[in-house]
Amino acid sequence: MTPLTSVGKATPRIDALKRVTGGATYTADIQAPGMLYARVLRSPHPHARIKSIDVSKAQALPGVKAILTNQNCDIQWSSGDTRNKRLLFNNPVRFAGDAVAAVAAVNRHVAEDALHLIDVEYETLPFVLDPEEALKDGAPEIQPGGNLSPNGQGKHEPDKYTRGNVEEGFAAADHVFEDSYRTPHINNAQMEIRASMAQWQGDKLIVHASTQGIANCRTDIAKDLKLKPENVEVICLYMGGGFGNKNQCHDFDLMAAELARRAGAPVRVEFTRKEDYTSVHGRWPTNQYYKIGVKNDGTLTAIQMRAYSGMGPYRKGQGDISGIEIYQCPHVERTTSMVYTNMSVSANFRAPAYPQGVFAVESLMDDAAHALKMDPLEFRLKNFTRKYQDRTAYSSSGLEELLRKGSEKFGWKQRWRPAASDTGPIKRGAGMGMGMFPSSLGRSAAILRVDSKGTYHVHVGVTDCGTGAKTTMGLIAAEALEVPLERINVVWGDTDTCPYSVGESGSRTTVFTGTAVVEAAKDLKKQIAEKGLPTGNDFHTASADTNPVLRDFARYSFVVHFAEVEVDTETGRVHVTRYLAAHDSGRVMNPLTAESQVKGGATTGIGMALHEQLLYDKRTGLPLSAGYYHARVMTHMDAPEIEVLWVESEDAYGPFGAKTLGEPTIIPSVAAVANAFFNATGKRVRDLPITRDKVLGVMA
Amino acid sequence: MKTFSSANPKTVADAVKLLGKGNGAVVGGGSDLLGMVKERLISPDVLVNLRSIPGLDQVKEQANEVVIGGLITLSALAEHPLIRSRYAVLAEAAGVVGTPQIRNAGTLAGNVCQRPWCWYFRNGFPCYKNGGKTCFSVVGENEFHAIFGGGPSYIVHPSDTAPALVALDAKFKIAGPSGERVIAASDFFAPPSKDPARENVLAHDEVLIEVRLPAYGSWTFNTPYSTTKSALRSAYHKELDRESWTHAVASVAVVLEMEGSTCKKARVVLGGVAPIPWRVPKVEAMLEGKRITPELAAQAGQAAVEGAKPLAKNGYKVKLTAAIVKRTLSALGSA
Repeated sequence: MTPLTSVGKATPRIDALKRVTGGATYTADIQAPGMLYARVLRSPHPHARIKSIDVSKAQALPGVKAILTNQNCDIQWSSGDTRNKRLLFNNPVRFAGDAVAAVAAVNRHVAEDALHLIDVEYETLPFVLDPEEALKDGAPEIQPGGNLSPNGQGKHEPDKYTRGNVEEGFAAADHVFEDSYRTPHINNAQMEIRASMAQWQGDKLIVHASTQGIANCRTDIAKDLKLKPENVEVICLYMGGGFGNKNQCHDFDLMAAELARRAGAPVRVEFTRKEDYTSVHGRWPTNQYYKIGVKNDGTLTAIQMRAYSGMGPYRKGQGDISGIEIYQCPHVERTTSMVYTNMSVSANFRAPAYPQGVFAVESLMDDAAHALKMDPLEFRLKNFTRKYQDRTAYSSSGLEELLRKGSEKFGWKQRWRPAASDTGPIKRGAGMGMGMFPSSLGRSAAILRVDSKGTYHVHVGVTDCGTGAKTTMGLIAAEALEVPLERINVVWGDTDTCPYSVGESGSRTTVFTGTAVVEAAKDLKKQIAEKGLPTGNDFHTASADTNPVLRDFARYSFVVHFAEVEVDTETGRVHVTRYLAAHDSGRVMNPLTAESQVKGGATTGIGMALHEQLLYDKRTGLPLSAGYYHARVMTHMDAPEIEVLWVESEDAYGPFGAKTLGEPTIIPSVAAVANAFFNATGKRVRDLPITRDKVLGVMA
Repeated sequence: MKTFSSANPKTVADAVKLLGKGNGAVVGGGSDLLGMVKERLISPDVLVNLRSIPGLDQVKEQANEVVIGGLITLSALAEHPLIRSRYAVLAEAAGVVGTPQIRNAGTLAGNVCQRPWCWYFRNGFPCYKNGGKTCFSVVGENEFHAIFGGGPSYIVHPSDTAPALVALDAKFKIAGPSGERVIAASDFFAPPSKDPARENVLAHDEVLIEVRLPAYGSWTFNTPYSTTKSALRSAYHKELDRESWTHAVASVAVVLEMEGSTCKKARVVLGGVAPIPWRVPKVEAMLEGKRITPELAAQAGQAAVEGAKPLAKNGYKVKLTAAIVKRTLSALGSA
């Protein structure tokens, strides 16, 4: 791969100094004169009908300026549910944490006191937490039409994918393996707390949101509040993480806007950490059942999956389960039921469909290799995907190289031994997992301006949810314009000053918006070549609205993780002692932020494997582990040293050949740790997380 | 949180008087209290700040005892040379509480008096600890609950320093409206059978102000690991549910008075497994008068969990507790 000048150079974030010196203004820091503070009252029941709601005492509290409830507000929150009509305040309430009322008051204490003065009479309804239980006869109906959420065709049926005929595949197999897996609801646990501040200037609404996509957020707000998009300005200059739960607009953005309208003053809505855990969304919990057919030499003949995703009571997320596609196999059948439950809502969380599915698939493949007495690396080298769904060529794939180079660098041959090789109480083992993540192409835009001093202003609608997008856009512009990064001024985070950018979800920003920057730069360079630099107060301006299309290829990033764990079989402690993450994300734009992405994603995955879940009390249907403490979110002390290996496959698409990077980082991490645990102990835990009780349980 | 006022008394007597007036709460470091106020688990009218009283955070050596002010921060205690050299178990326990930030703010007395971290209690379920009449953990999510001494509440005592103090035969000085009283640490903690809403005997207008450690006679403190002379050997071992910032899933505080390689006197106190620091006298008796060999340590580990009554999901704590007792004794015995 030909080295470039700016792209590919490890570069500190252009806003790093501001972030670490307290100069960055996050959403919750933004004050406006006369601003009110709002708090939200939430359902204490997993499922209940509101018989009556009386706000008179709250209304009478001095300092209370506006109250919203189901009785006086019927605003729909469209992106909160893609199948049903979800309002800001619903009746019945369908999960513990569902919003019941919002109060704006002169300060936080008055707002909170007012919540306690609202009298709500509930009629509690039966509830169900598990997706399979929710599909049984007699289960409480959570949405009209039943608990099986409609598929893409609008039918109350599971999503289905087939190729070949699995029965033929099983008949051709020498061995058939079957097993089931469970993964829990896990919160995104981003650092930045949730806040939204809205203010009206005449007809114009300005929302300071903490969002991964200002353009989508604006479109959504305009739609739900029936405003013209150009009358809505969404601003997010600094963002403290989201990992998928700050896509689109959120109910609190709409609440802030409506409270501000009614109170005639700016309003900031704030959530506590606990509300963030229970009332926004997390990763969908799954129950997965697999059956695979394998020949004596390890060749896969069939993969069958039947799975259930618990979506909570609203269909905010997709709910699909991915992982099978990493294997080539002639006969595949996949049936996924997206099911309503009375748990917290499920939706996007870093590679939404993947770590759950890859955990299951890679566990079962590991078991198959074990039963066949094959090295799991050899099993994967034999069966890894060569063509997408065995049909479409990849635009580029470094997967085989990731397996070979990664295993070599990790020391797989020395570290992987037959399962349970250690005889003492402390057992070491190595495991691996493969993953892939789409790297599609699509629409985005950029505006570039050059002034008479030779400063290039790059207007891109990114907010930088932690990925370093501002810096990446700067590097891409510098490369395309053939000027040093110091000459670039990136303008971001405000819909009034930046053109459309795809939301920072699906790991799309580098590829989508980067492409627009490259195209605009070409235009600008041409203008400068023709006219020279502008003079005085003039600018040359170039804009690009790009929407490239991929033909004849499937475009994916690939990833293989290797983990070594130490299991203390007397205390149940599992500790990751070595970790290598091998990634093909095409050309890496900024190795510094790219490595941070990998380390963060892998660490989150280790937490998912060993610790984290939003645990529910089954008798009451209430969450028990909301928050960093009880959910056992990873700490710095838990994070191992993570070594990163790049295999930069040459790809003809994307800016300078870049593919997706942020989300693939978590995909095989859970599986790698779970497989290392198996290799250490010879025992398999199929129900995440692999906590002490399960470790000592399987070792008993 | 409900609005409250803040009081900064200058003397312990004033603090007690303020508490006597009604709905007050004592603030040491405030690291846990403030969270409880925010969650409305408690809604005090007045927070009585003890940090405004001078002199409550000192370590003093007196004739027959070492006196530690209850307001000493956990990090100061963990780093104190005298505590580290003579009472390693206490320094180690203080050093593994929470996180560095919590240890910098949190105090010894606050840690000893900390309310449980049962998720039913902390989430406001109407359980015994929140003034209700049931313990949700019994047939609920009891992974982290008691295997000893439970009923009717099955919380585990959250403190790391409490087992260490019981193991050291510490005494607690308590100030109240009728003056001061000194009681044994082991008498301070109260099982749920006494009052399931509480974990200790402090009245609402009493304050734990001082901890006193016996000087252990004439033992050669400066060489605690000497195998030739009599010495005090002690250690605290804590198992967490991740590498930092959880309360003990199980812990053990061990204090051994050694003469040569023979154990003269032993204290073994478990943490994280019972509603109070859980002393295991049978294990202590097994060790006294013996050399602590790995075999004896293993037997002691098994004896430590005799009579455990695990709930549906915390059976793993039995094996875990046996293992850490064995390992801690084995390490101390061969030191």
